[in-house]
Formats: sequence, C-alpha cells, structure tokens
Amino acid sequence: MKKVAIGGGQGFWGDSPDAAIHMVRHADIQYMACDYLAELTLSIMQRQRLKRPEAGYARDFIGMMKEIGKVAKERNIKILTNAGGMNITGCVDTLKEALLAQGVQNYRIGYVTGDDMMGQIDELMSQGVTFENMDDPQVGDFKDIRSKLVNANVYFGRQPMMECLDGGADVVLTGRASDSALFLAPLAREFGWTDADLDQLARGIMVGHMLECGGQGAGGNFLYDWRSVPRMDELGFPIAEVTEDSLQITKAPDCGGLISEQSVKEQFLYEVHDPANYITPDVTVDISHATIRNAGPDRVEVGGIRGKPAPDRLKLSLGYHAGYKVVTYLPFGWPDAYEKAQYAADILMKKMRRKGMQYEDIRIDYLGVNALHMGLAEVNEEMLKNLNECVLRIAIRTKEKRDAALIIPEISPLQLNGPPGACFFGGRSHVEDVIGLWPTLIPRDAVKLQSHILEVK
Amino acid sequence: MAMVYLYELAHGRSGDKADTSNVCIYARDPKDYPFLKRVLTVERVKEYFGEIVKGEITRYDVDTLCGMNFVMKHALGGGATHSLRLDSLGKSMGGMFLRMKVDTDW
Repeated sequence: MKKVAIGGGQGFWGDSPDAAIHMVRHADIQYMACDYLAELTLSIMQRQRLKRPEAGYARDFIGMMKEIGKVAKERNIKILTNAGGMNITGCVDTLKEALLAQGVQNYRIGYVTGDDMMGQIDELMSQGVTFENMDDPQVGDFKDIRSKLVNANVYFGRQPMMECLDGGADVVLTGRASDSALFLAPLAREFGWTDADLDQLARGIMVGHMLECGGQGAGGNFLYDWRSVPRMDELGFPIAEVTEDSLQITKAPDCGGLISEQSVKEQFLYEVHDPANYITPDVTVDISHATIRNAGPDRVEVGGIRGKPAPDRLKLSLGYHAGYKVVTYLPFGWPDAYEKAQYAADILMKKMRRKGMQYEDIRIDYLGVNALHMGLAEVNEEMLKNLNECVLRIAIRTKEKRDAALIIPEISPLQLNGPPGACFFGGRSHVEDVIGLWPTLIPRDAVKLQSHILEVK
Repeated sequence: MAMVYLYELAHGRSGDKADTSNVCIYARDPKDYPFLKRVLTVERVKEYFGEIVKGEITRYDVDTLCGMNFVMKHALGGGATHSLRLDSLGKSMGGMFLRMKVDTDW
C-alpha cells in the first residue's frame, strides 16, 4: 500500500534549524513542510520591508537551505514553506542565489502569489464587504482602522501549492498559506484526494496540525512529564506516515524527543477551538471523536478524524497600527528585594506623572513573584520578605511614541539614585510599535492566487 | 477531604488566537476523566481565573481522548502585542489552570 512520509521542519520564525537538518539528512521522508508564520508575523515582516525593500520574509529559511538544499534534492525530498512572508519574490531570488552558490542544478522553485490583499481593500469595500471583526463584532468599526492598516493577507488552502508540485517544484514558497495546507497539499496530490474526499482532507489537515509546531509535536513544551523526554538538546521534530487508511506520527532515527499518546494529545487540541468544527480553507475538520493510541516506540496511531465541507468565505488577517509600547526591567537582590522593587516602581511612576506621561495602560509586575501566574500565584508574606531576588517589570502602552520613551532613560540611574542593590541589565529598552489584529472573512472569488515556477539551471 | 493540584490528575497545553486562550486538559488516567468532567465546570473555571479571563468560557469535551478543551475569550490582556502581560501569548495558562486545587472526594 502506498505510504507517504512528511516531516515538520519549523514551528515558527526563529525556530532552531537543527531538527530539520537532521530530518532531511537521515529520515525516510518524501516531503518536509516548514511553518514560519504566526498571527503577527506578517505585520512584522511588512514593517521590515517598508524599512528595507529587500527584506520581509523569513531569512532563516535561506540559511537552512544553504545546509540542506543540495541533500534534499539528492534524496528527492520536496520542501514546502510559507517563508515567503510579505516578500515572496525577494525570498525566491535569494534562494536561487543560495542554490546556485552550492552548485545545485536542475532545481525548480515553485511559488504562490496573491495572498496580499492590501491593494484590493477599497474595491472590496465598494462591493459591500464590511470587514466585520470575526472574533468580536463589538470591537469597533473597520473604518476606524482603515487608515492604520499595515498588512492584509488571506489564508489560503492546498490548491496553488499542488499546482507548483504539478510543475515539478522541488521547493514551494508561499506567503499566508494556512499552516496545515502546506502539509495537506502534497498528501492530497499523492493520493488524488478531491473536494469530495472530506474525511481524507481532514486527515491531511490534522497531519499539518500535529506537525506545524515542530518540536511541540515531539516532546517539547510537554507538561505531562517533561523529565521523561530523552535528549532535548537533540530534539527531533515529528514525522507523519500516511496511507489511505492509516495515520501514524513518529520521528527521525537517532534523535531526541518523544512521540507518545500524551505528547501527541497535547498538540492535538492546541489552538483548536470547537473540536467538531476546526475551520480551514480546505475543509472543516471534526476531531470530536478522534482516537490516539501508542503503536510502538515513538510511534502513535491517530484515527477517527472526519471532514465537513469547507466554509464559503476565507479568513483575511489584517494588522493595524495600534500605538506604542515600552517594557523595562530592573532587578533587586536581598535584603528587601521585593520591597525595594515596589519602591522603585513608585519612584518611576511619580517621575512619569511629573513629566506628564500620557498612557493607555500600565502594568507593573514582579518577576520571581507573580508575573506569569498573576493573581493565581501562591504568594505569602514570609516568602516575599525572604526573596533572594526580584525583578521589577514595567510595561506601558501609549498613543504617542514620545510618551512611551519617557521612562527609558530613568531606569539605569536607579542603580545609583534609588534603593540599594539594583542591577541594570540588557541595555536600554526601545519603544515598540503595537500592532492590532483584525481577523475578518471575505468571499472566495475575491482572491486570485497564482502559481509560478522558476527554474534554476 | 483530599485537596490535590489538578496537575496531579491532568495534563494539557495552552495556545493563543488573538485575545483568546485555549487550554486543553486531559486525564492522566482515564478513570479520573468522569471526575474531571464533573469538577471542571465552566462556572468553576470562570471563577478560578477571575479577573485574568474577562470574556466568555466554553468547554468542549472529547470523550474519546479523555480530554476537554476550554476556550476563553478576552483572556490574554488584549492579546498579541496589545497585551502588557509578560506572557502575552498565554504559554503559561496551562500551568495556571493545572495549579487549581480540586477535592477528590467531591
């Protein structure tokens, strides 16, 4: 029976390339897909591109391809990725140069354009698209953020990636392909799944879901029993082995990590909302009756996945300017670490008031006490009194950049001018842009995606 | 009465979508799943998180996995870069959930 193996090579922009490199060199796979795009990533890439026109994609991918582009071609492993971000053709050109420098020949770069919808917003508005916020219609009117838009990218499904593979692509580069569609595309093509094969499409999506976060699908971030995960310094990333009627998760030979019922379960519902209606551009997935069973060492069988028709509309993710933010830190040591950190916060707030800082929100936390678990942290007087060290963290959100900047030069002087034992670290903070997210739905026929092939000879 | 951390009976993971946090909770031992379903009501979870979760909480059960998925709106202080929390993506929401104390005699 035909079996296709696909690996997950990256979980996010900034992930370690080690597992992907190991996988391409040593695992028995035909495909590897690498997800670089989280919700905010495209907005960050767009801002980079506005500063430098040649930027705006995941350069990490190029670095990784310098290591494995040649060996992947030799082993006939095709790679799919959304590393193209906001500058797909820039990414394609750089990849071509990198491949040529390695002496890779007869290579085909497939790429997909058309997910960037910024140029079509007004046209769609004139056609009656309201861009209502799909998460929270009460949040406000789209017209209020129209002039502040940073990017507008539509999540798309498997079809254009399949066209690239039809064209003989060795690598497929996209922008906002939905993470899981990068995995579904080669599987649907290999097995000839059509729109009518809903259960199969849903299985392909869940392959992507279990693999798209890289190490998180193989024992990373494993709450069940993190001590039981072997060799985290060589953590392997997950691999799916798929046939027409079986779906198994495993990992490459000779690497660390753990594939078990529990490690797969923790990833399975991660960032899923209603398990009976997990919506993707290709299919609505129903995992409300799914099964996950151990099937051998580092091997798990997943079943019971069902599919329902895909939604009529596609999700458009809009990023918009929403002001500024600054975060500062100042650690204090025993004695009175917590009390001194509190006093330093008081000093800084008095100074900010005197300087007339206007703000939207301020948050003061004490790392080592309750910055992560907030009101649910177990804190008592005795512990606070004897704290060995405590880090003051102040975060401020403002409308104007100059207000956020006011606190920055006031932190390090507290080493000399404040309570004793402050130890400034990490250099001065910077004001960051705040980007708001505005997810909405648009008609499918508004989206025109194009598949291309560039030959590297 | 035996009060234990939920962590002793369950495991899970938290994720984020904008200002929505989801935490999936699985029974470590399938025999504890009915107890977990009984004790982890939406009302109980809402009360537990208090001010941290400002929006609606929905629980979805997946009996075949002995698991539940809690979807909590307005749970990340504004979400994404908007939030001023140290953990703006709610990576530690799973751990927060599991430090809930439950009465196993209940």
